[in-house]
Amino acid sequence: MQKFRKNTVTIIFLLIVMLGITGCWNRRELDTLAFVSGLGIDKAREPGKLQLTAQIIKPGEIKAPEAGGGGMGGSKPYWNISQIGNTVFSTVRAMTLKSNRKLFFPHNEVIIFSQDIAREGVRKYIDFLIRDPEFRRLAWIVVAKDKASEVLETKTELAKLPARNIAELIKARSATSEVSAVNMQEFLTRLMSKTTAPIASLIEVSAKEKTAQLTGTAVFKDDKLVGFLNKTETRGLLWVINEIKSGIITVSCPDGKGKASLEIIQASSKIKPEIKDNDIHITVEVKAEGHLGSQMCLEDLTQIPAWNSLEKRQSEAIRSEVLAALKKARQLNADIFGFGEAVHKKYSRLWKDIEDQWDEFFPNIEVTVKVESKLRRSGLTVKPPRPE
Amino acid sequence: MRRVIRPLDMDQWKEKRQQKNTKPVDIAIDLKDYALEKDIGKNEQNYRTIFRKCSDVVIRPFKLGTNCEVKALLVYVDGLIDKSLVNNFLMRSVMLLMGGKEHLMIRENSFDLLKDCVINIGEVSVEDTIEKAIDKILVGECIFMVDGHREVLSVSVRGWEARGISEPDTEAVVRGPREGFTETLRFNTAMLRRKIKSPDLKIEIKTKGKYTKTDIAVCYISALSNQGVIHEVFKRIDRIDIDGILESSYIEELIEDEPWSPFPQIEYTERPDVVAANLMEGRVAIMVDGTPFVLIVPTIFAQFLQSSEDYYQRFYLSSLFRMGRFLALNIALLLPSIYVAATTFHQEMIPTSLLVSIANQREGVPFPALLEALVMEFTFELLREAGIRLPKPIGQAVSIVGALVIGDAAVAAGLVSPAMVIVVAITAIASFSLPAFNMAITLRILRFPITFLAGMLGFYGIILALLAILIHLTSLRSFGVPYLAPVAPFRLDELRDVLLRVPWWRMDYRPESMEPRDKRRQGERQKPSPENRNGKGDGGNA
Repeated sequence: MQKFRKNTVTIIFLLIVMLGITGCWNRRELDTLAFVSGLGIDKAREPGKLQLTAQIIKPGEIKAPEAGGGGMGGSKPYWNISQIGNTVFSTVRAMTLKSNRKLFFPHNEVIIFSQDIAREGVRKYIDFLIRDPEFRRLAWIVVAKDKASEVLETKTELAKLPARNIAELIKARSATSEVSAVNMQEFLTRLMSKTTAPIASLIEVSAKEKTAQLTGTAVFKDDKLVGFLNKTETRGLLWVINEIKSGIITVSCPDGKGKASLEIIQASSKIKPEIKDNDIHITVEVKAEGHLGSQMCLEDLTQIPAWNSLEKRQSEAIRSEVLAALKKARQLNADIFGFGEAVHKKYSRLWKDIEDQWDEFFPNIEVTVKVESKLRRSGLTVKPPRPE
Repeated sequence: MRRVIRPLDMDQWKEKRQQKNTKPVDIAIDLKDYALEKDIGKNEQNYRTIFRKCSDVVIRPFKLGTNCEVKALLVYVDGLIDKSLVNNFLMRSVMLLMGGKEHLMIRENSFDLLKDCVINIGEVSVEDTIEKAIDKILVGECIFMVDGHREVLSVSVRGWEARGISEPDTEAVVRGPREGFTETLRFNTAMLRRKIKSPDLKIEIKTKGKYTKTDIAVCYISALSNQGVIHEVFKRIDRIDIDGILESSYIEELIEDEPWSPFPQIEYTERPDVVAANLMEGRVAIMVDGTPFVLIVPTIFAQFLQSSEDYYQRFYLSSLFRMGRFLALNIALLLPSIYVAATTFHQEMIPTSLLVSIANQREGVPFPALLEALVMEFTFELLREAGIRLPKPIGQAVSIVGALVIGDAAVAAGLVSPAMVIVVAITAIASFSLPAFNMAITLRILRFPITFLAGMLGFYGIILALLAILIHLTSLRSFGVPYLAPVAPFRLDELRDVLLRVPWWRMDYRPESMEPRDKRRQGERQKPSPENRNGKGDGGNA
């Protein structure tokens, strides 16, 4: 009996201790939370202050009205709440003065920086986003060409929420590989590297239709926006950093009477640094495979000479894309490719001497681009539809 | 004028009460005061005293033979004996026929003569104490006494109205035998004997219950069952001292290893094929007279997830179903608590669109998710209970009310969210899909505290509850066999009959957990293949 009592006391004691050491948790009913799906950071008119825009999902209105009653005349399924403040944290808290429900960030899908705030540097804002436990590091980092709040107000046709729309646009980028997709974790990795320049997706709002569209890549130097890559340059970048999923390469037919589109189905790349005679030399090896997706010329491209020539053209196109990106990166003096980290990995002893002068090295590094590409299949047909 | 009745004080009341109770009552009979006598008149007197006010006992004095020289007495309980047997083969033969040996009959030798030469009934025994005689009368035998002889003749003429063999309702199968045990122990042992035609099948009878004198049959195959287990079963049954046993659950609760545990530690079945299969795995079955439910020991947890039909259907199907039941077990235990924990603590774990959809449904629901879950679960349990107890024609009304009130009206009124209705419904389906009703009940009971913990502590609470359950389960034993065997302690070989059901030609060994005396179940290379079919034996790919 005494043993039993002793055991009971021990168990109860342990249970109480276990309850105390769990860290932070809280009971929140669903109807006390405001789910934030997108967050925009703008410069406020007052100097030194920022304007935060949070897109809150209205659960009651996101479903289509039942049985056709009311039609589409209802209000928007989201609510953009804006607040001006000194820091991100204080501004987020100040939003509770306007919202009856507590803002809840784990479902936040995009973080949008306006161009002017990105040019000033994003580190001071990112700090809160990684310090607070509610933010996910999977949120996409996006730079708006103009104001971030505008992007969150864009018209969407198929998606219900502008923020969700942007996230889905970014996810769909693999069809073209002409836009970079960077989530907070990847952005942080680049931000915390001494040499590699952070990048982010670039978004623009079309003036007429008020719809959002992705237009390329924003390039940062340290934490400050310094320039943009267009779509071709972006793909050049993605070839090098091994982020190509798919995409269409358009080349002219060997007979010069039309164009052919080649679909990339597989791609990989390697960055091989080499230090010779105090010179850094980098070789980028790209391997790609593609299909013949469409042709606008009448030639039978599956004949071996034409096919070989097509492969060559494909390699050449890839090469020119990479070179375009390289040119732009040198221009901006931003190591978006991670050449510095590659050198660091291979020559870790020498690196200490190079590290501080990387900015001087980078524009003048000799880069060789080797492309090895293959064409594998030609779709369901062999020849174009024409009378024999 | 009204008469005033003054309340009695306590002493007066007691006195009055005592006066009321001093009416003469029947004094309990102590059989020790009676003995078998040589004189038949005295004997008759004794029986009349013992069976005073027992209207169903027939005491019939008569005289033997056609010359009516020797007195005799017949005692039996009306309804427990077969009247035609008594009339045609007992009374008729001793009163009229006598097999032509009437001239040999004198008062002194009549008893032996009747026993050996006259009574033409198979099962006859001689009893020499009145206790035994009374016992025999009460179980449905006919007691036959002859004047001048102290011993009595007990003639087996049992025969009573009994339910016929029918398909067991609680363990219906698509494929498999359709017979189920009945309330009569003798029919049940016969059904078992018909399945296992071997002298190794032992059926030992114990009688328990001061008033019910219930027969308990312990069945085992002596060549297979572990001696220790058999010994333990008898030890535990022997210590039972109770006034009545009306169902095998009495025995179950009196011989369990851990009486406070919410988990059933003894499996029951009303299917003879299940009992036979278990006996052949080296287990012991306990049959109780008066109930079709037979206990099987030792029992492991996995047995509650298995159905007899697993062995009768194709093994692919059975294996899938077994895994499905394991999933159902988890759903039945955890789904409401996971729903509550995820929606009130861990909203970040729900995919955004699902979360928004749930939030949309919960807009305007006045109760917290925990309360909603508990109320809905409770309502469902009530409905289920009502459905079982009500007579069948009214039972349908309950389901209509349940479907309309809970499924539709409560949602339309905004009292509960549709998501919660779905959660409760899936939980209910999952718990119905478990083959063992007693395990399903246990899960239902445990579901409530887990849901409560989930509502207070979130997933942390669920994990705490699961840990507690797991610790409890690993500490359980059923007649010396670990409850979680063969998972803990781990025996890879036995797992082929736990989550999977391998084909019969691969089940070469009996479960090791039962420690059977003979481990091999079948010969080698039972897998059918052309070589085996030709009788060459060795060519197989074993």
